[in-house]
Amino acid sequence: MANQKMIEPDLDFIKEIGVLGGSDLKKCYQCATCSVACPISPDNRPFPRKEMIAASWGLKDRLVGDVDIWLCHNCGDCSVRCPRLAKPGDVLAAIRSYAITEYATPKSLAKMVNDPKKLPVLLAIPAVIFLVLGFILNMFVEPNWLNFSPEGDHIAHHLFFSTWLVDIIFISATIFAVTVFALGIKRFMADMHQNALAEGKTDKEKLEIKGFLQALWRVIPTILRHDKFVECTENNERSTAHMMVLYGFIGLFIVTGIFFVVLYVFGIHGPYSQLNPVKWLANVSGVALVIGSGLMIKKRLDKPEQVSTYKDWALIGLAMALGVSGLLTEMTRLAGAAGLTYFLYFIHLIFVFCLIAYLPYTKLAHLVYRTLAMAYAEYGGRKF
Amino acid sequence: MTENKESSASGSILVVGGGISGLTTALEAAEVGYEVFLVEKNPYLGGRVAQLNQYFPKLCPPTCGLEINFRRIKENPRIHTFTMAEVDKVEGSPGSYSVRITLNPRFVNDNCTACGKCTDVCPAERSNDFNLGMDMTKAIYLPFKMAFPHKFVIDSVACQGEDCGKCIDVCEYDAIDLKMKEKTIDINVGSIVWATGWSPYDATKIDNLGFGQYSNIITNMMMERMAAKDGPTAGKIERPSDKQGPASVAFVQCAGSRDENHLPYCSYICCMASLKQTTYIRERLPEAEIYIFYIDLRAPGQRYEKFYSKIKEDENVHFIKGKVAEVIENPDNNNITVVAENAVTGQKIKQEVEMVVLATGMQPNVALSKLPADLKVTEDGFLVNDYEKGGMFAIGCATKPMDVVSSNQNATGMALKAIKTLVNR
Repeated sequence: MANQKMIEPDLDFIKEIGVLGGSDLKKCYQCATCSVACPISPDNRPFPRKEMIAASWGLKDRLVGDVDIWLCHNCGDCSVRCPRLAKPGDVLAAIRSYAITEYATPKSLAKMVNDPKKLPVLLAIPAVIFLVLGFILNMFVEPNWLNFSPEGDHIAHHLFFSTWLVDIIFISATIFAVTVFALGIKRFMADMHQNALAEGKTDKEKLEIKGFLQALWRVIPTILRHDKFVECTENNERSTAHMMVLYGFIGLFIVTGIFFVVLYVFGIHGPYSQLNPVKWLANVSGVALVIGSGLMIKKRLDKPEQVSTYKDWALIGLAMALGVSGLLTEMTRLAGAAGLTYFLYFIHLIFVFCLIAYLPYTKLAHLVYRTLAMAYAEYGGRKF
Repeated sequence: MTENKESSASGSILVVGGGISGLTTALEAAEVGYEVFLVEKNPYLGGRVAQLNQYFPKLCPPTCGLEINFRRIKENPRIHTFTMAEVDKVEGSPGSYSVRITLNPRFVNDNCTACGKCTDVCPAERSNDFNLGMDMTKAIYLPFKMAFPHKFVIDSVACQGEDCGKCIDVCEYDAIDLKMKEKTIDINVGSIVWATGWSPYDATKIDNLGFGQYSNIITNMMMERMAAKDGPTAGKIERPSDKQGPASVAFVQCAGSRDENHLPYCSYICCMASLKQTTYIRERLPEAEIYIFYIDLRAPGQRYEKFYSKIKEDENVHFIKGKVAEVIENPDNNNITVVAENAVTGQKIKQEVEMVVLATGMQPNVALSKLPADLKVTEDGFLVNDYEKGGMFAIGCATKPMDVVSSNQNATGMALKAIKTLVNR
């Protein structure tokens, strides 16, 4: 009797996986075709067959901290080969989505981010923050934080929303996101290590920071080169789109960093000349973001057999919205349409806020969790 | 029985398909006094059963039972057998159907004594479909040793025709007629029984299992013929690449069955067939290691279960729960590595073996070519009996995958349904 294990299924978890895009989960009959079809699954304890049965049985605790759900790059090779059309690829995507919510605090905000009905509220939050904070600061502190009728012929967006206002809000949002991530990562790392020990997926007894960071350093080139994407057979052209979006974001992040330093160290305001190399990087990155997310939209529309849920569209939509609103803001500025460009800038700021503040709750959190999981796999000797 | 063999009961039955199911219905109905037309598209009776080496679980040869059935047919004047025949048109309603049947030319008449002299002189060859293409026959050939009717037949595609005519010269019985033409006949029957059977699923469609790409991957029906004494290798189990007895064999269960991309249903017999085939290998190659890769093993009923238990005790037979999803050929020795995840241990297995047997499933023939009658058919091509409408009935593997014993029971019962149609007229 001592060897008997009580399985305690979490029925709500099973239901939630269905809602998040894994509704064909129960069709699985455990033939393990998926584990063989997967080009990146390791020989020891391969995925996703074991994840399919754990999910079927509602074993939430075995899944949210499972490093393997993040090693999966959702290429869909398993789903194509699946004899039951149980779509293991989509089930793993659903589990990842669940795990993101699981490691995020507060839960109420995480639920809102995953609920299409709450989208207007989420968009309204930054709009209100900008306007209210701007007005309040206008009343009490000089200079002009928020100016609806900037004077003069020179169009510069900081004349509308002062960079101080923008940066106070965005730095706060960043601190918030980093804090939420920090809390999540602490639990995530502990769970991931415990799960790997229990399932014999690691050769390291202890999780040591130094070794882990070294492993992280080693996997970064793999991530940047999209090596794992390229191993997929069904969907490998997808890696181009993903690469464009990723590099678009990285480019814009660098541009933002340069702007920030130049502004606060040297006191030089934008907008930069179109001849400035930083501007080139900004423009190229913005275009990459729009084209990359456009390709992603097209790919999803062309593949109706792959499940596309709200979380997928929300992320692609956000990337597209950021790129389009940013580029339109720039173009209208260059065209001299002052009113329009200021309005578009406001819209753009709202999307930027969404990107930063909601990052730990959206699908984009995979940026953090998948990176950590890949580093952990590298650290623990999980050859995938 | 007090049956009067001379006088027929009124009404007649058409049985379409001369496999084990069709034979059974035809015989049961004829032996209680009804006139039966038995139509078979092959040049011989016996269907898929004729190709089997042994039955499970008793491991006795099917030819034994077939021989008895053939004798019963010969002795019964109420059965009219048409081989190389196909039903073209069916009109009418229960109790009265008019049916048009096409008789394809055999080019060999009833004078044939199957002496075989024609074969000796025939210069043309054809791939032997009875042995699933594993060997060749001459253009004039006897389908198999036990073939009934025991007459030669000419493959009109392979035959060089009257310009050659060597067989005609050598035939002492005037049995060859190369001018024979296709004929049609019209018959009236009260009831029709469809026993159209099955074909092995085309394994080349299962692209991840390498059949047709790698020579040492064969199907279960090929294994039956290989194991048969009258088969292409005279009963020697050998791998196609070098004709050597394999030291290791992997069985891949559910090859195309229970698969939404192929046959979505379970083909029912493949588990027992593979278990049976392990006995062929164990008997002839006692050192060979056998690996059976399965999702679930189905051995329904006490007798099958017992058979499975016995095989399980064999140290040379290894059962692995996990479907083979990938095969790799070693170009140096043509060995095959099969890849699966053992779902019990959670480890990926890459097992190199010298030969692979795909346990391919049953596809109803109706899925491959439609019937000229108003019948209910499932998406997969199985016939569905409509007892309210009556008149026409489906039996055997035309209705669902089943083993021989179930086919016989089903065929016997359905003979009564057909008879009832005649009586109630």
